[in-house]
Amino acid sequence: MSLLDSAVTGAPLERREGLLRGYLPVVLAVLVLGLVPPLAGGSRYLVSVATLLVVLVTYGVAFNVVFGGTGQLLLCIGALAAVAAYTSALLSGELGWPLAITLPLGVALATTGGAALSWLAVRRRLDTIFVGVVTLTASLVVHNLLLGRRELTGGETGLVVQAGSGTALRDPVLGYYAVLALLAVGLAGHRAIQRSALGWAFRAIRDDAEAAALAGIDVARTKVLAAAVASALAGAAGSLYAHVEGFVSPTTFAFATVDVRVIVAVAFGGLGTLLGPVVGGVVVTLLDEVLRPLGQLRLAVYGAVLLVLFLAVPRGAVPAVGWSWHRATARWRGRGTSPAGGR
Amino acid sequence: MAIVLDGSVLGLQLAVLGVGISLVFGLSGVLDLAYGAKVVAAAIVGSLVLAGGGPVLLGVAVTVGLAVVLSLGIDRTVLAPVYRRHGEARVVLSLLVTLAVAFVIDGVLVSRWPHAAFSLAVAGPPVDVLGVRMRGGSLLAAGLGLVALAATFLLLHTTRAGRAIRCVIQDEEGAQLCGIEPARVRTVVVVLSGALAGVVAVAQGLASSVAVADGFDLTILAVVVAVVGGLGRVAGAAVAGVVLGLVHALATATVGASATWVVLLLAAAVTIVLRPEGILGLGGRAPRRHTARWSRRIAGPDRTTDDDAADRAGEGRG
Repeated sequence: MSLLDSAVTGAPLERREGLLRGYLPVVLAVLVLGLVPPLAGGSRYLVSVATLLVVLVTYGVAFNVVFGGTGQLLLCIGALAAVAAYTSALLSGELGWPLAITLPLGVALATTGGAALSWLAVRRRLDTIFVGVVTLTASLVVHNLLLGRRELTGGETGLVVQAGSGTALRDPVLGYYAVLALLAVGLAGHRAIQRSALGWAFRAIRDDAEAAALAGIDVARTKVLAAAVASALAGAAGSLYAHVEGFVSPTTFAFATVDVRVIVAVAFGGLGTLLGPVVGGVVVTLLDEVLRPLGQLRLAVYGAVLLVLFLAVPRGAVPAVGWSWHRATARWRGRGTSPAGGR
Repeated sequence: MAIVLDGSVLGLQLAVLGVGISLVFGLSGVLDLAYGAKVVAAAIVGSLVLAGGGPVLLGVAVTVGLAVVLSLGIDRTVLAPVYRRHGEARVVLSLLVTLAVAFVIDGVLVSRWPHAAFSLAVAGPPVDVLGVRMRGGSLLAAGLGLVALAATFLLLHTTRAGRAIRCVIQDEEGAQLCGIEPARVRTVVVVLSGALAGVVAVAQGLASSVAVADGFDLTILAVVVAVVGGLGRVAGAAVAGVVLGLVHALATATVGASATWVVLLLAAAVTIVLRPEGILGLGGRAPRRHTARWSRRIAGPDRTTDDDAADRAGEGRG
């Protein structure tokens, strides 16, 4: 199995392929994204767009772990990020607690929330769509609470995050590298999961949960664990973004702003693949920026482009590219196995 | 009493929304995220007819007609590749494709008619119903919803076409063996669901108004109602809509407008978690049967879906 195949299918590399090759896609992706600030030539706008992109990709990695990994349609990524961000911002702002305490506290709260939802869904044996709608209602509840508790959250006008001002996080470029570092952790973590026994458990559950259970995998525990990992990553990303940006509002984390874009990005990039969220996130963000001059018609064109993309590559761009590459190079590798048969 | 009446007016509209989206999912496993966008598109074009001086009945006819045409058009074109897939892949792809369609419709509406709104004013003084003063528009909207629901039930339970529809919903292969053509049944259901979208547009216009930006909220409401009713169960969706309408009115009266949505959504979430088989799924119907039936229908006979297998795995342990 080649490196690219592994990046495409999410299959673990064999041991002998080593640490370096296993993590090479992660390193390359992070290096490429790390080039953005020097290439932006001091443009604050470009760096802020790139920051948002990296945060979107991090949410995408989280969604990819939980939905691509174990098939749980967790539609509350934005809400979990909001819980972590508002917890940290409010505790630091109102009570003056240091960030070193409030950031982990917010992330812990988001993790607990996501794990609890997943536990509920596993216990009640909810179908994909049902998990989706329960988590969707949860995310709408969070949104409405943020809007409603005006005296605490500032309602829809938003909240200026005092904590973290004056630190390195508020410098646009350093802030960008901070969120990029988190994305690197997320991607490396996803890779580590794919290479570990847990990754095998994920794939077994996704393919056939009954067989997985018979093979000795604790299906319920694995699913809840996947949700907890994803929620922690989403919470950390939301919280970090709040402190880098210095301002949060319910719209920052709304279902339409976060979850819809995350689904589109991950689905387009390739569900369950390591680099899918990166490719999808970049394409969605570029599309957004390119279509900006169209003004009001932007949404319609955006939808039309997505429609074509979804129908053209329903399995996602990363697998599609990987497979054509595989086919093109099969001749040089002699009798290459077909990707479907190979893994 | 006022709470019950207000709740029923809203509830009947929610019921029609839920039934419209639930029918299509029950038949084909396609969850239509463009449903709200279709309602709004139909309503806005209806409002253009009215603004152009057209008679009210023409406006209503155009609204319902456009909803049907839009529904059938989308089903025939962009959803065709979706129907070629099966199982979980079809569900996921249908979500993505209909979401993209919703973007297209919303985008066109927002760019062309950003401030358009559809409302049908009903002249005349408020009417006393059981001691409560109700606006004529609200009553008409409720009546329209009731008629639409009744018509749907009569169609499903007294006609040949209705029996064919229920047959395919229950077991597509079995229906095929009995000489029912699923493709033709799908056409009937898509038309019916489109007509119900048109009815929602008109009823909403009578009770209050439909604005360009309402599509997304309508879709979410429709999905929530349909799922609370037990996806694919028409009677369940109807009951769920009315119940959630009553909850909404009750919450507005007791906890105030801002917390109403929280109460409504929590009520929906709790119902789904307690009764995944749907609000009507009582009377000895175990949730297992529902899931099993679903996965068989969606996934085909040769493989089970994750969740179905997870169910059994979970059961073995519990």
